[in-house]
This record gives sequence, C-alpha cells and structure tokens, in this order.
Amino acid sequence: MKKILIFMLTLVMGFMFVNFTIEDKKTPQDEVKSEAATYSVPDDVQKILDNSCVGCHNSDSKNIKGKGKLKFDEFADMKLHKQVGKLADIAEVVKEGDMPPSKFIKNYPDREPTAEEKEKLVKWANEMAKQLTPAE
Amino acid sequence: MKILKLLILILIISVVIIQFIPNDKPEVVLANENDLIYNNQLPENISVMLKESCYDCHSNETVYPWYSHVAPVSWLVVKDIRDGRKELNFSFWESQSKMDKAKHLDNIIDEVLDENMPMPIYTIMHANAKLTKEERQLLADWAERHAESLFE
Repeated sequence: MKKILIFMLTLVMGFMFVNFTIEDKKTPQDEVKSEAATYSVPDDVQKILDNSCVGCHNSDSKNIKGKGKLKFDEFADMKLHKQVGKLADIAEVVKEGDMPPSKFIKNYPDREPTAEEKEKLVKWANEMAKQLTPAE
Repeated sequence: MKILKLLILILIISVVIIQFIPNDKPEVVLANENDLIYNNQLPENISVMLKESCYDCHSNETVYPWYSHVAPVSWLVVKDIRDGRKELNFSFWESQSKMDKAKHLDNIIDEVLDENMPMPIYTIMHANAKLTKEERQLLADWAERHAESLFE
C-alpha cells in the first residue's frame, strides 16, 4: 500500500515537473500572446540591450540625459502607456540610426550593434509595443 | 571705399538672385479632419498652448510670417517646418495607432520639459510661443493624462 502511494506521489510530482519544463520552454512570443501581455525580453535581445544600451539607460548611469529618457531596470514598473511609448521610440531611434549615439560608437566601437542585431532589436520593440497596446 | 561699395553691391545682387531659387513651402491646410484639437475635448489652455507654441511646425496650419518669404531665411523656415511635420503632425493625429500616439505623447513630455521645444530660434521671432516653466509642466501633465486615457 505504502509502495503504491509513493509510486503515485512520484507520478504526480513527475507530471508537475514535466508541466513546468513545458512552461519554461515556451518562447517569449507565445507568452505575450496571452490575454494580458506583459513586458518581456528574450535572451538574444537582452544580450544586445546589455551590450549597447543599458550602459547609459539605467538608474545608476552617469549619463543624465540617457537615464532621464529611459531606464531599463525600471521599465517593468512603468505604466503601460509609458512602456508602449518608450518601446515605440526605441524602435524608431534604432531604426533611424540615432541610437546608440555616434559618440558612444566612437568610444566603444566593439559595442556597436550589427545590422542584424539592430533589426532584431527594432522587431522586438515594435512587436512588444503592439502586444502591450490595447485594441483600438 | 570703392571695394566696400563693390562688396555691398555684390551682396545686394546675390540676395536678389537667391530670391529666384525655387523653395517650395509646405502647403497650408486649415480644415483637417484628423486634427488633435478638432477631435478631442482638450482643456482650453492646452489647445491655446499647442496652437501658439507647436502648430506652426507640427501641423498643416502653418502661419507664414513675412520674412519666411525672403531667402535665405525662407530656406531655414521651410526646412524646420518640413522636419517638424515629418516628426509629428497634429493635423493627422487621429490617423495614427494608439502605439504611435503613446510614443509622441512621451516624446512631447521629454522635449517640452527639457526645453528643447519649442525651438529657441522659433521663439525669438514668436514671443507668444514662449512657454514658462509652469506652462511646460501643464503641457507635460496633459500629455501624460492623455496617454493614460488612451490605455484605460
């Protein structure tokens, strides 16, 4: 009897574990397609942000102008309309080549995003902004 | 003395000549069905501020002053209006997605509070376009409220 109980318990726990792994394997795109979309950053985009953006755009930054405009560490705490506004702006300034600024690229040439990375960043910001925007 | 006279003459002639360089001014359209102020019940003081401080470059309702018809000043005026309308045109406000409205409203807050807008070169000749610190704050607060209302 005890053995069966342990067996069943293991089975149940196993099922739960499997469920969690499936949850984890969900791509961020799938996650945000659910009804209440929330701000999320896939790993490959986070890498680009960390390398080329977060240096100035964080609350400990010495770049007053940069952190005044955008602080990634406080992004998720902002109201929805702010998040959307900032994301749409990120897409625009990266696409237009206004960000990262030429001074930053001059000082840190190895941290300039490649064309492919820029495209990935713009796509993410645009899609994220769209998903967070309520229907018209 | 003779050289000075000659220089002045050359200057006058060149100013006259440059008047003939074509410089297409962005068209003025007064009735815009997608206009921000036309379509929204904005507080009176906000509409007045927007009209007086922003609309000359950020709408189709540009009021061209006399000097905007004289080169080379006209070139600068035309460039600023073109750039302004391209960046943000209140005459087409309602034709945008909520996402773009949120983007523009967020930018308005930054630009107005950082005193980048209205441009200092513009307020030199348009004294009534100047915004006080209090007015800047009012405009920014309105932009914040308006953006929030779009997402309710």
